Amino acid sequence: MTERKPSSEELLAIAEMVWTSYLDPEDEYPLVVDGVPDPGTAAADVVATVTISGAWQGRVLLAFSPPAARRATAALCGLDEADDAGDGDVADAVGELVNIIGGSVKSLMPQPTALSLPAVTTDGSADLSGTEVCRLTGTWRGEPVSVAVQESAQLYVGVSRTGETSR
Amino acid sequence: MRILIADDSRVMRQIVSRTLRQAGYDGHDLVEVADGKQLYDAAVAQPPDLVLSDWNMPEMNGLEALVAIRAAGIKAPFGFVTTEGSPEMRKKAEDAGAMFLITKPFTAESFRDVLDPILR
Repeated sequence: MTERKPSSEELLAIAEMVWTSYLDPEDEYPLVVDGVPDPGTAAADVVATVTISGAWQGRVLLAFSPPAARRATAALCGLDEADDAGDGDVADAVGELVNIIGGSVKSLMPQPTALSLPAVTTDGSADLSGTEVCRLTGTWRGEPVSVAVQESAQLYVGVSRTGETSR
Repeated sequence: MRILIADDSRVMRQIVSRTLRQAGYDGHDLVEVADGKQLYDAAVAQPPDLVLSDWNMPEMNGLEALVAIRAAGIKAPFGFVTTEGSPEMRKKAEDAGAMFLITKPFTAESFRDVLDPILR
């Protein structure tokens, strides 16, 4: 196992790239990373994860409040109203966002590594335990958002965006 | 032109289709598939003019689908649209016969850079 770890600065650069590309292309609703200690991911949060395995092992977690998850989905799908986003779309969209963030984190780490398919929970059943390497906590459009990287992830079992139990 | 778009995320398939339009490529026949096996089946059933494929997909990943498509004698331009763009993956893609690799997140400009020679 290598000593190389993703830094908060690197994670912020990745998150800002994703926000600029998909969630805030008009520069109206930036991700606000406020540095306030994380109050803990709420039980009702939408949590998406991907695992990285190989020369470095860990996972990337993205958590949105339900309203933020719907707004993110609407932004990705080009919908005018967040309420138009269905539950399946939310799992798909948030899963794709963590997939993109995870792919960028993976590229920072020694190779070879493999990226899993994303797993998404929308019912508060996510297992968030793990050794945290770095975390961004903040708000987007007034709603809580967090992005975190954990090392040596435990085998994670959740519900994939296709509705099947993840690997 | 018949363009196959393969990604296990329906939302990402929508984004790829939207980005094609934003890049100025209107009027093409866009066919969406959700994994590598579906991609292979669709390519064999009716050979496409271009394939835009994710790498990491269930059933058969994008690289496996590319190898199978080339083994079936289909020579259509094939490009990956994926989160991962390491030198190792780019080499694997090129060795298997891919023409280009676009990393997510992408822009209409990055689509034009690689697709203009094919679609214009």
